[in-house]
Amino acid sequence: MIVLETKELTKRFGGLTAVNAVSMHINEGDIVGLIGPNGAGKTTLVNAIAGLNPPTSGEVITFGQKTTGLTPEKMCRKGLSRTFQIPIPFPKMTVLQNVMTAAIFGNRPGVIKDHAAHSRKMLEFVDFPIHEDTVSEQLNTVQLKRLDLARALASNPKLLFLDELASGLSEGELKDMMELILKIRDHGVTILMIEHIMQLIMNLCNRLVCIQFGTKIAEGTTEEVANDPKVTKAYLGGSGNTEAAAA
Amino acid sequence: MNNSTQTLNPFDKLLDLTCFTPLGLLSLLVLAILPMVPPFNQEYLIRWLISAAFIASMAIAFDFTAGLINIVNFGYCAIMGLGAYTSAILVERLGLSPWLGMLAGGLAAAGMGLMIGMITLRLRGIFAACLAWFFGLALMGLATKLVWLTRGPMGMRVDRLFDTPSNVPFYYLLLAMMVIIYITCKWVTRTHMGVAFMAIGQNMEAARTSGIDPVFYRVSNFVLSCAIGGVLGGFYAHYYGILTPDIMHTSKTVEVLAVAYIGGRGSLWGGAAIAFPFIFAMELIRSSLSDLPGINLVLYGLLLIMVMIYYPGGFAQFFNTYFRQTGNKMASYLFNGVAADTK
Ligand SMILES: Nc1ncnc2c1ncn2[C@@H]1O[C@H](COP(=O)(O)OP(=O)(O)OP(=O)(O)O)[C@@H](O)[C@H]1O
Ligand SMILES: [Mg+2]
Repeated sequence: MIVLETKELTKRFGGLTAVNAVSMHINEGDIVGLIGPNGAGKTTLVNAIAGLNPPTSGEVITFGQKTTGLTPEKMCRKGLSRTFQIPIPFPKMTVLQNVMTAAIFGNRPGVIKDHAAHSRKMLEFVDFPIHEDTVSEQLNTVQLKRLDLARALASNPKLLFLDELASGLSEGELKDMMELILKIRDHGVTILMIEHIMQLIMNLCNRLVCIQFGTKIAEGTTEEVANDPKVTKAYLGGSGNTEAAAA
Repeated sequence: MNNSTQTLNPFDKLLDLTCFTPLGLLSLLVLAILPMVPPFNQEYLIRWLISAAFIASMAIAFDFTAGLINIVNFGYCAIMGLGAYTSAILVERLGLSPWLGMLAGGLAAAGMGLMIGMITLRLRGIFAACLAWFFGLALMGLATKLVWLTRGPMGMRVDRLFDTPSNVPFYYLLLAMMVIIYITCKWVTRTHMGVAFMAIGQNMEAARTSGIDPVFYRVSNFVLSCAIGGVLGGFYAHYYGILTPDIMHTSKTVEVLAVAYIGGRGSLWGGAAIAFPFIFAMELIRSSLSDLPGINLVLYGLLLIMVMIYYPGGFAQFFNTYFRQTGNKMASYLFNGVAADTK
């Protein structure tokens, strides 16, 4: 079953076409990798789907319904969650309050009886290492990303977008993160992950979408896309990313 | 968050319900007996007390918007003035009772808050602040120009709430209003609505992706804060007995802002706590340096700059770091009460 489909999705910022007529789809249970060099338009594409930056033209179909241009809060209630590339949650709130916000407002009223208990479960699920009463502005980036993930999970999504969740992690932390992402998938969540780290992409994703200068240049199984000469060239040429190019 | 499940004794329960710490309650008692103790029983000092309680109440409601949803309502005193004029006009022209007038003032201000909230919805904090300011200027302009209705700068005579020359009843009424305003605002912060306010104030994008509809919450916040301002305006009109457009001036809002920020953004209680010493200090300075008009505004500016640099969380932050963390059990109870998030 297709959970998400975009048709000719385009996003322009003034004269700059950040996303250019991208059509792609995600099947239920997939872990799809969205790859492409820096500035390719990956975050913009995700924002256009999730409603933070509505698309200029094109169509988004989520869970079989047309959702083009819906607000982020509506998309959230429909079962779409996302983490941020640069996570800045609610800085003055505690860790627990951060997660509770999504537990309270991201679910239909009455679905979750005890928001605090549900949020603690989410923190436990992502193995959050810091005490729940810590004010979140005291956390470092790696911790903030994990907190952002717990927040995104608290609204019980069916589809989850991860924007460079693993960047900045050490080798050991990377292994944990891979396990965590698989664990999320095994709970029935379909995942679209923007990622530069080849090790993660090759190990986790069953399908890949590659964009360059806002245009989709490849879509297919991980092997197909990884071996596509256009993709290799995109990474090696110009704005190439050394990590990816080395892989 | 108060997650202690043990049963509280009735006193603590009352404190918890009213969102006061033992120290907060103690300060309130002191404020309540002050007008009976020399030298504070002199009329001019009671007037100072009323000014302070007025600014304190305004600061609480102002902080409800500025501190929680992070939008500075630069037109706040103009909206208070709208409440004042609404009440004054209804009472003087239509013979309404001043009590109903105050209520009507609150309604008019709430309507204005609804309008400003709707119009500024799509705007980011600073632009919303500017727009609220323009609204304030327009309101003040109207109060000045509609001479047939407001008598403009000549001032409008208004009946006082209590038919006595003494100001003491006004002080107690205002003190009660301040407590009600504080409890109302604090209660809201404990509900899901309060969580939504803080979330949209701290990170709009994360709030929206977490499922919060900013339209509803932003407008509700504006409406409540403006309604409080309007009722306070009604009080003001029926206390002073004379109403001129300059109560709507931006410099009055700046005074409220200074008290709220120096007291501590988002704390609600900080502004109320420092308003009293602060207004007294300002009045003393004003009366001893009467040849330097406007010196109080200079001082506000300097103090604000110092607070922004050294203590962005204001007096509340200072208090939280140096007093609330105390190891002494008695003191800790005094400063924190049983629930850690209260005044
Ligand atoms: N709000 C905006 N206004 C104007 N231009 C923008 C905006 N957001 C993104 N862009 C531009 O759109 C292009 C795509 O940016 P985007 O952040 O989507 O890239 P990305 O693929 O996520 O890159 P990275 O891997 O560095 O995160 C860039 O040229 C960027 O400068
Ligand atoms: Mg990006």
